[in-house]
Amino acid sequence: MSKNPNSFGANTRPQFTDMIHLQELETELIPGTEADRRLIFIGDVHGCSEELTKLLGKVKFEHGKDHVIFAGDLIAKGPDSPATVDIAMKIGASCVRGNHEDRIILAHNSLHAKVHPLPGPQEDPHVQEDFLDEESFSHGDYKDRALAKLLSEKQIKWLKSCPVILKVGPIGNYNGGGDVVVAHAGLAPGVTLDRQDPFLVMNMRTIDLQTRVPSEDRKGEPWEKIWNHHQSHLHPPNQRTTVIYGHDSKRGLNIQTYSRGLDSSCLKGGQLTALIIDSRGKQKIVSVDCKKYSG
Amino acid sequence: MLFRLPCQLLLAISWLVVGNPVLRKRDADFESVRTRLTKDHSGKGGDPKQKYFHESTFHPHYDGRFAEKVLPNNERHKYLSEMMQTYLSTMNDVGAETWIMHGSLLGWWWNRKIMPWDSDVDVQMSESSIEYLATYYNMTIHHYRLPGTPGGRDYLLEVNPYYVNGSTTDWLNVIDARWIDTESGLFIDITTLRRDREKEQKGLKGHMMCKDKHEYLAADIFPLRDSEFEGTPTKIPYAYAGLLEKEYGSKALTNKNFENHFFDEKKMEWIPNGWLNRHNGGIAANTKPKIKAK
Repeated sequence: MSKNPNSFGANTRPQFTDMIHLQELETELIPGTEADRRLIFIGDVHGCSEELTKLLGKVKFEHGKDHVIFAGDLIAKGPDSPATVDIAMKIGASCVRGNHEDRIILAHNSLHAKVHPLPGPQEDPHVQEDFLDEESFSHGDYKDRALAKLLSEKQIKWLKSCPVILKVGPIGNYNGGGDVVVAHAGLAPGVTLDRQDPFLVMNMRTIDLQTRVPSEDRKGEPWEKIWNHHQSHLHPPNQRTTVIYGHDSKRGLNIQTYSRGLDSSCLKGGQLTALIIDSRGKQKIVSVDCKKYSG
Repeated sequence: MLFRLPCQLLLAISWLVVGNPVLRKRDADFESVRTRLTKDHSGKGGDPKQKYFHESTFHPHYDGRFAEKVLPNNERHKYLSEMMQTYLSTMNDVGAETWIMHGSLLGWWWNRKIMPWDSDVDVQMSESSIEYLATYYNMTIHHYRLPGTPGGRDYLLEVNPYYVNGSTTDWLNVIDARWIDTESGLFIDITTLRRDREKEQKGLKGHMMCKDKHEYLAADIFPLRDSEFEGTPTKIPYAYAGLLEKEYGSKALTNKNFENHFFDEKKMEWIPNGWLNRHNGGIAANTKPKIKAK
């Protein structure tokens, strides 16, 4: 905890149904010094399944040797979300929950929720209130519902298994031997992983310098700037955590000392990027060009 | 949960049907819903005719048809908590979509509870759900057996007939429905979150509003999340943290000293200032047995 008596993160961390907050990666998947294993982190795919296949080919992904971890927003907006989830499931990848997975999972649950279950005694039984996915519906989340319907129960179940925060832990001597953590948008510095606010972890872009509260808007300082500053003051250096994230396509590929921003805007005709860490703790960045799917 | 119409109301309706074949819109006045009081304490007399809900003559957070005095703070908190639990549970049972907002959302964020200094609770409801309640559940009484309350308690669900008018110019009827504790006279104001049709006409999509002039983006509210409040399942708006920052400023998410209380991170409770000195001779909070929440 920070010494400031009014620091962010003092509250009881919000908890929700169908949301895993924190998970640790199985140790056997982490590259050791002996085995020739690799971890491959991939940023916001957004349903660009073609580009994902191309990227996996370019990094020469090998089953049983490599393990892929998606930094969230695997789905939504792009050409083929179901096919993208299929690829992720087939290669046995890990993932974290992005703001788009979050929306689609919630929309899926609301489609199956019990709302207005019984028609009243005078109601014409032939009138069906089935307007949930129409644009005219007063919720305005019809797009989320439409995508939720495109995904199979199996795919939704897999997406629900993605935690908000995935703790990888140290990868050999990588980046000074400190922990590596994957989160979709970012983390609030000085707050333990268990007490991070899940909405902000999936949506933050900036941090208010005065209150240190993260926010999704762009008014404050970029969160990763505060994060890097905070980490560089922790001693010894193996106490410093490196965050691998996505979410901010405007800032693009953004590699700093203790943060790795991987959203290189594939959806808008940028690139799809993979960050590879091998068993010697060496880091490599590989990307493929993307078609332009959206403005 | 038992479920019945107040017999006085049934009588009133049957009288209307017999005496006058045309059903007239009328409000649920003191005579038709009264329980133990002999005198009406509602502010109806002084209110404009078009105003449907009347706050009491002695306090704006009480219904003068059911109460004649305010409760002491600690008792009020217990009633508020029970009112919130019974409201959320009833809405969940009947399938009406409602979620907590404003001060209640901030209380939820800190520790899933109503803040001890809050004098009311805030909820919103979707348009289709208020229509549903108005059609099938208006003026229904919901009986709850509550621990420490022999004989249980009746809650009245009353929908404002002016809910059909979504315009903010109808400023006398910004509250669309109430969940009323017929014992204490305390109530929950229910406001409907509506599509902002004015903005839609200007070509702006995804904007929403309430008659109390609060405005939101649909994407900040929906899809709703499932959580708990006062130990009862509740819905939470999608972008809860962003909504709280916008409404109260980010300080509200860090300030642990508020309204003569401090937030104890070990107990995850708001503790009144001076409590330690009064109860403990100033010994650290974590050495004291847990305070009872309710």
